[in-house]
Amino acid sequence: MGTVNTMNYLFAAYTAIWIILAVYLFSIRAREKKLREELDNLRQLIERQPANRR
Amino acid sequence: MPGKVWVVFRKDLLIELRTKDSLNAMLFFGIVVLVVFNFALESVRDTIREAVPGVLWIAFVFSGTLGLNRMFAAEKENSCLQGLLMVPMDRGIIYLGKMLAATVFMLIAEVVIFVFSLVFFNLTVWAEIPYLVLVFVIGTLGFTTVGTLLSAIAANTRMREVLLPLILFPVVLPILVNAVEATRIILNTANYGALKLPLTILSTFTIIFGTLSYLLFDFVLED
Amino acid sequence: MDQPKYKHLDAILGGLLLVGMILALYMAFIGAPRERTMGDLQRIFYFHVPSGMMGLAAFAVNFFASLMYLIKKDRKWDSLALSATEVGLMFLTIVLVTGPIWAKPAWFVWWTWSPRLTSSLVLWILYLAYMLVRNYVPDPDRRAVMSAVFGIVAFVDAPIVFFSIRWWRDNHPSAMIETGDLDPLMRPAFYTCIAVFLILLVYLMRRRYFLESARLEAERLERLVDLAR
Repeated sequence: MGTVNTMNYLFAAYTAIWIILAVYLFSIRAREKKLREELDNLRQLIERQPANRR
Repeated sequence: MPGKVWVVFRKDLLIELRTKDSLNAMLFFGIVVLVVFNFALESVRDTIREAVPGVLWIAFVFSGTLGLNRMFAAEKENSCLQGLLMVPMDRGIIYLGKMLAATVFMLIAEVVIFVFSLVFFNLTVWAEIPYLVLVFVIGTLGFTTVGTLLSAIAANTRMREVLLPLILFPVVLPILVNAVEATRIILNTANYGALKLPLTILSTFTIIFGTLSYLLFDFVLED
Repeated sequence: MDQPKYKHLDAILGGLLLVGMILALYMAFIGAPRERTMGDLQRIFYFHVPSGMMGLAAFAVNFFASLMYLIKKDRKWDSLALSATEVGLMFLTIVLVTGPIWAKPAWFVWWTWSPRLTSSLVLWILYLAYMLVRNYVPDPDRRAVMSAVFGIVAFVDAPIVFFSIRWWRDNHPSAMIETGDLDPLMRPAFYTCIAVFLILLVYLMRRRYFLESARLEAERLERLVDLAR
């Protein structure tokens, strides 16, 4: 088990961790953005209809 | 309470015995699984005896899942469930009745499938039978305790029958592991003393999930 | 949606996390000694094991939140359960990916059906099934109930699965044995990584939770708009 060989796997493992973490974080961020837009849209729609508020 | 359980149990039993739809499907599917495995394991024909416990329980589990799927399908179609819920009784009783009915049907299927496997795999069993009965009963009970609850959950989803295997199989893995091992001990070795551990785990599983499912069933049925 | 005080906490956690991650990396690669038999490959453990622990912790949160939902019927608990499960799945994915990467050079196989690895796989599948259940129940209240029930079942099942596999493996011994001892020199790095991953867990769960709250708010507003039409 040479040192070079081991380092490759070590690198691969930590890269994998970063990728998984990054993908998840970005997915949350993307969903947050989409929701913020949707919420803004909805709030505007509601403001245009003052008479029928619950 | 036993009386009420008996009523629910008897209802499910009679309905099924009248048409035998589910039972036929379960039997047929179980036997087909046996045959399929024979073809799949052709390359290891010499050692196929080793695989028999695993093949048997896969056939049982697939067949049992088929039976569980049908459990709530009919009720939903005929709104029979609403009627049942209007009777003033503990929802857990519905659970017990259905679970027992499912167990009975699955055991019937297992006996038939097992007989076929004796023929297909050229097995002879006499002294082993009481032990096999024990393992089959406890294993099946464990399967149906949690299976009944999960079947009720699946019936509430868009995917219905398709979802049940997906959520059931991972949960009943302990049943599979221990029942296969116990069956292997009985069929392929004569070391009955070693049965204690798998049987203990199977019983523990059954008791834990029987109680849990009984308690949780109420929440799933609210309609 | 985002109250000011939450934003503060998020910023603090985020900052702590950034510093923490750098610290964790330092400890794992430089602060910790080189292991005798496996060499630097062993350093995977400093992130692999804490990920596993946080995954388990997340699922414990799910169990607790599912229980609380069934008792209190407050949707907040359902949101917490969902957040915990998603984050837990992410941590378990890390475990299941880094495990084989470590195993290949160490044991010369990608996968062994060792108790811990197999149990991690089953756990991962169980909570994936939880997400499936959530996906296929259209009504929000029913969805919360169904997933809460399944979450409880899954959590109770997990130890039984682990024990079954472990006993079965003892019955069928193989050459693969997992080491459990920890060299005292490695402890500082190990504990640091656990602490940092704990912060990561909390940070991710919070963000996911507020995302879910926002989604529920959007649903509520949508209903208002529909009513007005």
